[in-house]
Amino acid sequence: MATASVSTPLKSHHGIFSTRTAGGRIPLTPSPRTRTTSLATNVSSTSSPFTPPRQTTESTRIVSQSAFGNVTSYFSRSTSRNTYRDSPKSNIAKAKKSPKHLELGVSDWTLTGTGTTVGQTPSKSASRKKGPLRTRSGKTTVRLEAGDRFIPNRNASEGIVTAGSGKLDESHRPKASNGEGSTVLANAVSAFDLGGLAAEDDATVALEGLNLGDGDETSSYTKPAPDTLAYESSLATACGVSLNTRILAFKPAPPESSKPIDLRSQYNRPLKPANAASAQFRRRVLTAPERVLDAPGLVDDYYLNLLDWSSGNQVAIGLERNVYVWSAESGTVSCLLETAADTYVSSVKWSGDGAYVGVGLGSGEVQIWDVEEGTKLRSMHGHDTRVGVMGWNKHILSTGARSGLVYNHDVRVAQHKVAELVSHTSEVCGLEWRADGAQLATGGNDNLVSIWDARSLGAPKFQKTNHRAAVKALSWCPWQPNLLATGGGSYDRHIHFWNTTTGARTNSIDTGSQVTSLRWSNHYKEIVSSSGFPDNSLSIWSYPTLVRNVEIPAHETRVLHSCLSPDGQMLATAAADESLKFWKIFEKKPGSASAISREGGVTGKGGDMVKQMTIR
Amino acid sequence: MSAEKDKSKVHKLSLKGSSKLIAEFFEYSINTILFQRGVYPAEDFTAVKKYGLNMLVTSDDQVKAYIKKIMSQLNKWMTGGKISKLVVVITSKETGEHVERWQFDVQIFNRPSKKAASKDTSKPPDKENAAPIDTPEPPPPEKTEKEIQLEIQSIFRQITASVTFLPQLDAGNCTFNVLVYADADSEVPMEWGDSDAKEIENGEKVQLRSFSTSNHRVDTLVSYRLAD
Repeated sequence: MATASVSTPLKSHHGIFSTRTAGGRIPLTPSPRTRTTSLATNVSSTSSPFTPPRQTTESTRIVSQSAFGNVTSYFSRSTSRNTYRDSPKSNIAKAKKSPKHLELGVSDWTLTGTGTTVGQTPSKSASRKKGPLRTRSGKTTVRLEAGDRFIPNRNASEGIVTAGSGKLDESHRPKASNGEGSTVLANAVSAFDLGGLAAEDDATVALEGLNLGDGDETSSYTKPAPDTLAYESSLATACGVSLNTRILAFKPAPPESSKPIDLRSQYNRPLKPANAASAQFRRRVLTAPERVLDAPGLVDDYYLNLLDWSSGNQVAIGLERNVYVWSAESGTVSCLLETAADTYVSSVKWSGDGAYVGVGLGSGEVQIWDVEEGTKLRSMHGHDTRVGVMGWNKHILSTGARSGLVYNHDVRVAQHKVAELVSHTSEVCGLEWRADGAQLATGGNDNLVSIWDARSLGAPKFQKTNHRAAVKALSWCPWQPNLLATGGGSYDRHIHFWNTTTGARTNSIDTGSQVTSLRWSNHYKEIVSSSGFPDNSLSIWSYPTLVRNVEIPAHETRVLHSCLSPDGQMLATAAADESLKFWKIFEKKPGSASAISREGGVTGKGGDMVKQMTIR
Repeated sequence: MSAEKDKSKVHKLSLKGSSKLIAEFFEYSINTILFQRGVYPAEDFTAVKKYGLNMLVTSDDQVKAYIKKIMSQLNKWMTGGKISKLVVVITSKETGEHVERWQFDVQIFNRPSKKAASKDTSKPPDKENAAPIDTPEPPPPEKTEKEIQLEIQSIFRQITASVTFLPQLDAGNCTFNVLVYADADSEVPMEWGDSDAKEIENGEKVQLRSFSTSNHRVDTLVSYRLAD
């Protein structure tokens, strides 16, 4: 290829134009590389019988002038083109900006077109030809048809396109003008035409047809911008990757791993996961309520404690101004008391022996009632805000009020107030004595859990600030005396487990909803929590694995209170949907070991009890 | 049982069945890689019996759903014979560097005739050499399902064993991506988008075993970044 050397010096300039030529000339270009294409096109033009190399250069210049002149008249808005107008040289310089463009685009064409297009071009030119100078001029006719389509798109791509359009405009005129038009330009346009014809669609396709036209069928694949495509193609050829495949990535980000990963654990992993075996032995929990009772007028207030189940198997519930006692044995219900019209019941609590019930009122008064007789034994004043929670420790009744104060009352003596427990700054809503009476836990609306030593009530033994919402749910573990579970309100949603000897937090569960109450099972190593928004459910957790064994969608609205039956098998829940439900969630298997504690005389009477349950 | 009878009983995999088998292989591969390379915590995986091995499959709902989404599309492409490669790239979360790349090359022996034809014409002759994937090879002799299973089994054994020579990944700090080399004319749903090859710079490459069915051949290759 001696001619190649001729064209080399001109490369940059000619590159632009000659690439266009390439369209017509591709058959001669053997190599797919872009650089060589530009060379080759020059070569080709020189090698063509009609055009000696010198002529080519001349003609290009002429064309460029005329072409761009036209272009500017048509597309004066484009600044770049305006500059072109000045002189061919200047536009060459401009065109340099996008050499990649041009060369690549065309190279692509050349690459692919080898087989089919080659044949096409000459034949077409031959048939249509009438131009006096070159074969290509004939092709302008062809262009005409497709030409119109290109025009609107011109602005998209630069040099090449302009040239093409220029040519087109020219070709609109009498073909004679083509005589001036050089082969080069003509070729360029023909290249466009080919693309356009192949795609036969609209302008966009035609434009990209530049790159793809050769592809024939692949024209559907026109999304990427022409230059990226050209780039890809060149890259693809460079890497030996077929252009017919595309690399697709699944775009959504993979989920984050929730837990820390310790690779060591998986290198000595048991074939069977440890808890898979336990699954089949997991106990079955009855998820349907044994009994549903109406509880009309139940005040929907998280801070109150209106439900309690006595050791004598009676359930007391505070409904607005009344306290009702429902006997689980007989299923009979009686109204124990009705408060004055200006107040309401804010808490009820059975004494340990099940004979008396303490009733806290909205006025701050605390009354003690003998249930058997149905008479009030005494009233204890002291609080000036409502008493939301109470707890018995033998003859001591602890009462927590809205003021944040907790009083201990000795119910036997006239001067009943024996201690004032100052710790909370906001309403006390949780209060629980440990079974042995050695410790007292209180929780308040100030997100605080206080643990008191019964022997020194001047200050709490521990104050825990881990909860981020009010603490109503408190429960002492029946089998491990120094284990306390506390549950936080709707912003907190956690259950924390405490060692009340050391004050250390031993475990935590995020329950995902407001914890309204907690009850340890007497028979199983489990704890049940009742939830407010959003779950309104009962959850049974294994301890200490903290696995949620079962979740029972218990109520339609938040579960406010819960209490265990004296035999520990049944849980009663009262919810804001004004219903009282009984759940046999800790049912004892016949023959299983006896209960750890709190075992009342009710065992065996459960069925009985259920049968007779009638209320209202 | 005579040999002849045996032969008649041998069930030949159809193209569709073969695609399914390969898609399934991909699913287990992705799971195995995620587990073996510690992309997700080991507790998130449960063992299932497959290919005569205990395969570990994620039980994390989110990851499961993610893989399922990938697989549902992959299945479509596989049945259509649109896929030439599947790549699982493990990327460092911190630097965004690609640290490991598992590539599964799929070769289809009996392409649907129309496809093959169009492919041939569109392909310039000089690319024939450049893309060895596309060169049709004579299909290997028929295999029984059992043989195929054994081949797959040995691939998984190799993937598992490769942990020993692969550099330790920064556990918990890696994420993964799935790439697919699909034909240009495949239908692409919204979730999938064009991507670069995510090759590993100056990566070491190790060719693992391969397996083949009557219609497909799958080669496995892992490339990884050498420790500095």
